[in-house]
Amino acid sequence: MEEYAREPCPWRIVDDCGGAFTMGAIGGGIFQAVKGFRNSPAGMSHRLKGSMTAIRTRAPQLGGSFAVWGGLFSMIDCGLVKVRGKEDPWNSITSGAMTGAILAARNGPVAMVGSAAMGGILLALIEGAGILLTRFASAQFPTGPQFDEEPAPMAAPSAPFGDYRQYQ
Amino acid sequence: MPVSVGPYGQAQPSCVDRVKMGFMMGFAVGMAAGAMFGTFSCLRIGMRGRELMGGVGKTMMQSGGTFGTFMAIGMGIRC
Repeated sequence: MEEYAREPCPWRIVDDCGGAFTMGAIGGGIFQAVKGFRNSPAGMSHRLKGSMTAIRTRAPQLGGSFAVWGGLFSMIDCGLVKVRGKEDPWNSITSGAMTGAILAARNGPVAMVGSAAMGGILLALIEGAGILLTRFASAQFPTGPQFDEEPAPMAAPSAPFGDYRQYQ
Repeated sequence: MPVSVGPYGQAQPSCVDRVKMGFMMGFAVGMAAGAMFGTFSCLRIGMRGRELMGGVGKTMMQSGGTFGTFMAIGMGIRC
């Protein structure tokens, strides 16, 4: 997971945006295929057609909202890296919360706070899982050179992780 | 890149391993997130007692599955 270093900062935005779009489109394709299949009237051709329609209409939408999330997230992340001068999990958590807040901005302050809390909690969970995984992985392969300190600033596990909820 | 050698001089885990790892991690994260948000939303719609347990469990499994799938895809598109 930490084998691939994340892209250096300005390019990370593009990378995350595209990665998030792909992730959302593929994942949305899978889920919408099932959903369209189940919601269609009986008959195999109807079901397949319904499934295709659901994929065509919804998967790009989901990919788009993932891309918005991922792009805004890493934009804020890069801003924080520049401002604070270091890269640590707090960057990701803060930018997750801010992304949630910004994307809910048109729904009023209450929605902004709720959405920010959700983004922050999610990113904190993901970062925590990443840290645990790094510990586990470095304990699992004791043949490798031992890290004498915390192994590097944790890269976000799957960097472009967009929230799967839609904020629209 | 299944056989390339990583920066620490050991073979990197293969693609399938990484996808599996991503799924497991996403599943864990999703379970945790589902436990939190599921508790809130189930309490809000007025579930108590055993019903609440069932509702939270269902939300946890659902969000774990969703997260896991997306994480697995996220890992898969990068190798």
